[in-house]
Amino acid sequence: MDEIKKDGLSRRTLLKGAGALGAGIAAGGLAAPAVVRAQGTKTIRFLNAETSIDSIRALKVAAAEYEKQFGTKVVVDSVPLDGIFTKVTTSLRGGTPYDIATFAFIGHVLILASEGQLMPLNELTDKYKWGPNILFPVDGKVYWYPYDYNLAWIYYRKDLYEKNKLDVPKTWDGFLKNSQALNGDGTSGSLFPIGSNGATNWLSPGFMWAEGVQLFDDKWNIIFDNADMAPRASRYLDFFGDLYKTMPSGTSQASFGEVLSNFTSGKVAHTAYAGRIIETIERNNPALADKYGIMPYMDSAGKHQAVNHGYDGWVVLKTPQSDEAMKFMKWFTENQYINFLHTAPLHFQPPRLDVYDDARWRAHPLIEKHNAAVEMMKSFLTDKNMILTSIDTQGPSPSLKPGKIFEAFVFPEMLQNKVLKGMSSAECVKTAADRMRQVIAS
Amino acid sequence: MSSKATIYSFLILGLAVTALLIVAPVVYAVSLSFYQMDSFVGAPKWAGLDNYTRMLSQWVFWRALINGFIYSFGTIIFQVVLGIGFALVLNQVFPGRNIVRGLSILPYLLPTVVVVLTFKWMVDGSIGVLTTMMSAVGLPQVQWFESPGAAMASVILVSVWMWTPFVTTTFLAALQTVPSSLYEAAKVDGTNAVQRFFHITLPMLKPILTVIVLLRAVWMFNKFDVIWLLTQGGPVGATEHLAILSYRQAFGQFDIGGGAAVATISFAILSLVVFIYFRLFPLDTE
Repeated sequence: MDEIKKDGLSRRTLLKGAGALGAGIAAGGLAAPAVVRAQGTKTIRFLNAETSIDSIRALKVAAAEYEKQFGTKVVVDSVPLDGIFTKVTTSLRGGTPYDIATFAFIGHVLILASEGQLMPLNELTDKYKWGPNILFPVDGKVYWYPYDYNLAWIYYRKDLYEKNKLDVPKTWDGFLKNSQALNGDGTSGSLFPIGSNGATNWLSPGFMWAEGVQLFDDKWNIIFDNADMAPRASRYLDFFGDLYKTMPSGTSQASFGEVLSNFTSGKVAHTAYAGRIIETIERNNPALADKYGIMPYMDSAGKHQAVNHGYDGWVVLKTPQSDEAMKFMKWFTENQYINFLHTAPLHFQPPRLDVYDDARWRAHPLIEKHNAAVEMMKSFLTDKNMILTSIDTQGPSPSLKPGKIFEAFVFPEMLQNKVLKGMSSAECVKTAADRMRQVIAS
Repeated sequence: MSSKATIYSFLILGLAVTALLIVAPVVYAVSLSFYQMDSFVGAPKWAGLDNYTRMLSQWVFWRALINGFIYSFGTIIFQVVLGIGFALVLNQVFPGRNIVRGLSILPYLLPTVVVVLTFKWMVDGSIGVLTTMMSAVGLPQVQWFESPGAAMASVILVSVWMWTPFVTTTFLAALQTVPSSLYEAAKVDGTNAVQRFFHITLPMLKPILTVIVLLRAVWMFNKFDVIWLLTQGGPVGATEHLAILSYRQAFGQFDIGGGAAVATISFAILSLVVFIYFRLFPLDTE
């Protein structure tokens, strides 16, 4: 200690120095966003939720190109989708809002729009023709720019169908028989998750939509257990209970990863997903690339078909940089959009119908190779009889109510009550409907 | 600066940090429970006690409360029993003791996410390494998460595996403080190992046992990450406890007030339990 003092460095001096350094670092950290803004005067912040390396790279390349052309810096931050709304709202609350953000749930867009936090994007969206049920306008104003559909449809093993002389099913009975026929010899008949997670909400209700089930009437009353809907929902549960017997162990916890890995490794003969499965097959098990087929969900009578809705989009927030953000979005959607879609060429299904005729988009090798699947994906949008809905988009207009039902995992629990607890289908439907009423009351 | 002034300055600094980082967020969270809010950006609407009455009237709340108690008791009992057992073993002299002691703390050092995801993939019903190995030797498949009871057991199992080393290490340290003369005297009196454990070891460890049980109870009652990563509260809500319900209510169902009400009730229950616990097992009577 004495030696230190001799050099003029007492403990107090050291503590003072450390304190000053700490304060400096803290102040620097807190002031960072302001510095980022001040440096180039034109800086916009983009919160991305597509966390694959390719997607992040495409956005960063676009940002660099934009800065080169226009002098405006675009800072791209990436967070997983689950955390995006919290990140956006806390950044707003903290006074350093993002200028552009990614959302995958229309309820989040509606909350921000109703609070006056979003810029209408009609000037960007009005010039294109869009697929069905994707813009979710509020009083004629479109508050987001949807960049993809993630519809969920059924995948089946075409080679196993041929080997076992099975026909593509049109009814639940047919689907069940095919699943039973392919169940065994190291392969499970089907996999439709039932865990309390987003995968179940997305991949398992499709059969129910095909059967014509609806959750709400025009006045937002729950009709799931009324005289018309309850028998349909019960039929769906009876069917699902039988189908569950063809599923692998672990289905009660299966999420997106398990669904992908089970089908792409050849462990299940049927499952549901969007285009990601094809990309994963190409990457991990190319031998399966010409051995799969896709089909929509079917109803019990073979009269109706459905795909489960899924989507992603960008919003522009009302910030001091809104005008710059709008300029960037205009440039990006006109010049870089196809590049971005190509980062997940089959999973990012274009909601803009003009893209399907765009030679640049068509030129991607995977889109060329899987043309049959791509055409069917397009037909899901153009077929007027195709039912396109999901838990979170049910109801007479865009609203938070169905989103609450989605997030409360009412449907996964309904399936679990049926297959894990052995409750009667009627009882499951009643319990689910009561829970829905409870959830939307808050 | 006098030593008194130094003490006060540190005290004030500590109080200021506590107020800023603990008291203020708690007060803010409690205040949120009296408002109706969809998100943190909207203007909150005064709701009085509505959030409390609404949440307390829902069966999911009571289910979550019971699940929380089952999870806490289950994990604490196994952690303490196994922890003491391992500590007694590691307190003995045997070759390679230091290495075994070092290895025994490993589960506690691993990040929760690593442990949980590894466990999940190991027991995956189709492609899990454990599933495949069991199937290869003709053993029946274990349904780890297929029933509510099995899911709760799995969650407890992983939690016990992760945090028993903490209990072991604490007890092992406490065992070093028990004078060996007590054991020697007891041996002279003709006691056996079980008698020595119940009449010497356990009474000597009682203060640390009291603290450990309390700490583990508080931590396990509020434990979020393991359950969320393993089951997200399922199946059929069998592993959803108050912490998960609160999170899901606030951030999933756009009901910040309801989520805050659940968190506040959970806080109140825990405070009450701690109060009763200290009345039953006071620390300063020894």
